[in-house]
Amino acid sequence: MRLDQITIIPIFPLWLIGLLFALGVAAVVIQYRLIRKKLGNLRAAGLSLLRLLALSLLISFALNPSIITKEEHKVPPAVAVILDTSKSMGLPGTGGKGSRLDEAKAHLLDQQGAFLKSLSEQCEVKLYALGDSLRVLEAGELASLKAGGKRGDLIEALKELKGKNALVLLLSDGDMKWEDVGSTDLPVIALPVGDPGGYRDILIKAVKAPAIAFRGREVVIDVTVKGYGYAGLTLPVLLKDGSKLLTARSVRLDGSPSETTVSLPFTMEEIGQRHLSVSIPSQVGESLATNNTVDLSLKIMKDKIRILMVSGSPSMSYRFMRAALKNDPSIDLLSFVILRTPSDIINVPLQEQSLIPFPVETLFTKELRTFDLLIFDNLASHLYLNPNYYDSIRDFVRGGGGFAMIGGPHLLDQGKYVGTSIGEILPIRLTGKDDYRRNPPSGVKLSRAGRVHPITRFSSAETGGKEDRLGFWREMPDLDGMNLLTLKSSATVLLEGTDGDAAPILTVGGYGKGRVLVLATDYSWKWYMGMVAKEKGNSAYLRLLERMIRWLTKDPSLDPVQITLPERIGGIREEIEIRIKSTEEDVSGTAKGGVSISVFTPDGTKMGSRLKPTGQPGEYLGSFVPEKAGIYRLRIETQTGFLEESILVPGALEGQDAMPDHNRLRTVSASTGGKFLSRNDDLLKEVGNYAGKVNNRFLEEKRFSVWNSLSLLILIIACLSVEWYYRRRWGLV
Amino acid sequence: MMISRRLFLSLGLSLSAGLLFSGRRLSWGASFPQFFFAQIKYRGGEWDPNPQFVEAITEELELRTSIDASEERRTTALSNPDLFFYPFLYMAGKYEFEPFTEQEREILRRFLTFGGFLFAEDTMGAKGFGFDQAFRREMKQIFPGHDLKRLLPDHSVFQSFYLIGNVGGRQRVNPYVEGITVDNWTPVIYSQNDLSGAWARDKYGRWINDCVPGGESQRAAAFKLGINIIVYSLTSDYKKDLVHHPFIKRRQSL
Repeated sequence: MRLDQITIIPIFPLWLIGLLFALGVAAVVIQYRLIRKKLGNLRAAGLSLLRLLALSLLISFALNPSIITKEEHKVPPAVAVILDTSKSMGLPGTGGKGSRLDEAKAHLLDQQGAFLKSLSEQCEVKLYALGDSLRVLEAGELASLKAGGKRGDLIEALKELKGKNALVLLLSDGDMKWEDVGSTDLPVIALPVGDPGGYRDILIKAVKAPAIAFRGREVVIDVTVKGYGYAGLTLPVLLKDGSKLLTARSVRLDGSPSETTVSLPFTMEEIGQRHLSVSIPSQVGESLATNNTVDLSLKIMKDKIRILMVSGSPSMSYRFMRAALKNDPSIDLLSFVILRTPSDIINVPLQEQSLIPFPVETLFTKELRTFDLLIFDNLASHLYLNPNYYDSIRDFVRGGGGFAMIGGPHLLDQGKYVGTSIGEILPIRLTGKDDYRRNPPSGVKLSRAGRVHPITRFSSAETGGKEDRLGFWREMPDLDGMNLLTLKSSATVLLEGTDGDAAPILTVGGYGKGRVLVLATDYSWKWYMGMVAKEKGNSAYLRLLERMIRWLTKDPSLDPVQITLPERIGGIREEIEIRIKSTEEDVSGTAKGGVSISVFTPDGTKMGSRLKPTGQPGEYLGSFVPEKAGIYRLRIETQTGFLEESILVPGALEGQDAMPDHNRLRTVSASTGGKFLSRNDDLLKEVGNYAGKVNNRFLEEKRFSVWNSLSLLILIIACLSVEWYYRRRWGLV
Repeated sequence: MMISRRLFLSLGLSLSAGLLFSGRRLSWGASFPQFFFAQIKYRGGEWDPNPQFVEAITEELELRTSIDASEERRTTALSNPDLFFYPFLYMAGKYEFEPFTEQEREILRRFLTFGGFLFAEDTMGAKGFGFDQAFRREMKQIFPGHDLKRLLPDHSVFQSFYLIGNVGGRQRVNPYVEGITVDNWTPVIYSQNDLSGAWARDKYGRWINDCVPGGESQRAAAFKLGINIIVYSLTSDYKKDLVHHPFIKRRQSL
């Protein structure tokens, strides 16, 4: 026992112990002085020494002295064996026999698991799989393990293993998330799998594309193509909209590996959410074909609404419409006014005429599809258009275009539309004549449908603060002329005359993907000047016209339901949330306000989805979890209609560049203080050597209290007994 | 009383057109036809110097253009609430007239600012006197920030139907017309050449006034300008659309 092994842990404060000792010494000295006269100096001193000894021993108990001993123990090091199970590990391994994961498993399971068995004798071994996350592998699970997860995050995995393990053995192709974060205190021995030298692949490494593009304007998508093992090859890069080829460019792979970026310029004419694909043809010997295609979503918007308006004659109706449309910066108007009919006589030579030919053929055969809306304003069209052009107009509307007819004596062209394509698309029944009435003037009122239709459902702010929308329309000046129409059953009347027949004034309908509107009066401009006369501004007419245009051209701002898709769509099995805002008044009485959502998988089957209110009026949150990549169709239904959207769910990014990245493994092992092993290294020996270097010892510390020693107790009792014996013998007791 | 050969032809062709396209132009007797003259009856001066101008210009309009016009002429005070539904407000005179009331000015300002149109003419042609002086005074009050300015040769009113190089009228006081332009629209056009005097015809179809110094070609130019002003009032700056540019340029170079 050495002095440095003794320690004291006082049971009382040291000052109290010192005070008790001092009192004891003082008592012994006083007693000495008292008994000295009676017993003499020698005997008194002997008794006092015995007393002092006993006191010192008692006081030393209060100091609670202990003896500490330390003992060193050795333990086997804990080794975490991580198998990369991400998708790229399913690709062919070295030599093409089996996958990279099979190659990794072979290292561990060779000779009936001799490696693992031997390693377990030296170390405490625990197996992990690293894919979507790090998970412990149960015994016996190793043989049936399959690749397929996302790229593993090695940094997160090491954070999880740190402190519990002395060493990590990583078996991977190197395709994992890693960045140098400095020392991790957990060395990684990396054993690479896969064969970078024999890997052959061409992939689309990156696609740089805008999320939004404008119709009719050139868009450029930059595509980066990377190739391994195809030096000198020239191949096409194709951009497709469904099966339709938009553009193609050639790229040449100069080396191996080589990376080339090519720009694909193209122009879209159809608005809406478009799902495009960039692809390169698969080549013979490619290790991976799925990374030859990248899908992308592009929203094509109108920068301007393009309107073609043909007016039968100069008129107030034309001028007011023209002024309103020209003043709207979102509208691009091309108008033609028939200044003279074939029966009008021109009395001047050509150089004094400003009249231009009406380019009907160009407009109605080639250019019509470039417009969003066609307006016939009191046009006797048979004088200028042949029935073939009517067919073009029908096809234009069927394909999604808007068509409006503005009233007047020539609205129905003296019945000449009967049996034509125009008659087919109009929401009115043709009777073979123009039934136009100029007297008596008639007021207008909102129909039942007009109260809720987006064209005529003005807010109170739009009606000048009037809550009573019916009263607002009653205030409008009378119309001096109107066409008396017979409706098809599919027609929806929004405004009707206030006379007994309630003649339809504003009627809408649909044909194919397009929308059709008939305004059965050439005096709508009176709604403008009538309100000006009343000093109530011109906004009612302008707002009505704007809404008519926007409804006809399917402007999303007029939809009763607005859908906001997430800015970034995650991958497979990541929940997608869609924000839905309904402007309709809730008459359903349900929590979801009569709004429902249906989600259809890329196969077209309906899948599970959720819809819940957000707490804001009219706002809902729809969500679903995609199980595979592809285009998911959403259908939002409300009380007055439905709206469809689509979402592209990309495939797992893993596998985009599946080239074994052994350099990354070198970096991992170097930055963690581990080692990068080659295929020929003796794995067990290397791990064993490395594990041996790891300081895997610990000290055990033991403490023994001195006060509970019997010999010391006997010594105290002996001191006191001897003192009592002599005191009695010398006559003091 | 003889009618001119030109008028005879016009009437004959109008009749033919009416027979061929009988559904096009009917006299509806509507409350507010799509086009008619509404003439301002003001206080003082002489508000109606050419009472018989409507028939000939309307016939010419019908014969040459597709405009659905009515031969009716209405007279109106500026305080008339129906003023806002008149497509073509016309004002003429020889002499100085009484100032408009502030309410009349406000109505005319609102009418012209929000899309109305006024064609005014000084049939006397005395610059700085009489009607000219009074009209300019009122326009200054109504449009304090905008002066009557000469309309340039490329203004839409000279291209709206005919390509006009010279300005006609009963008299040739100015080789130009003036106007007040707000943004791209000229709601007020003013002439001192007495166009309506050149259009005026008696009940036998004879011209009431001779056109000096140019004679009948000056009258024909007055009709052309009249038609152009009316077409402009119903189409605005339609002829400024890009689609017209190459044609107009080519014809002007012929």
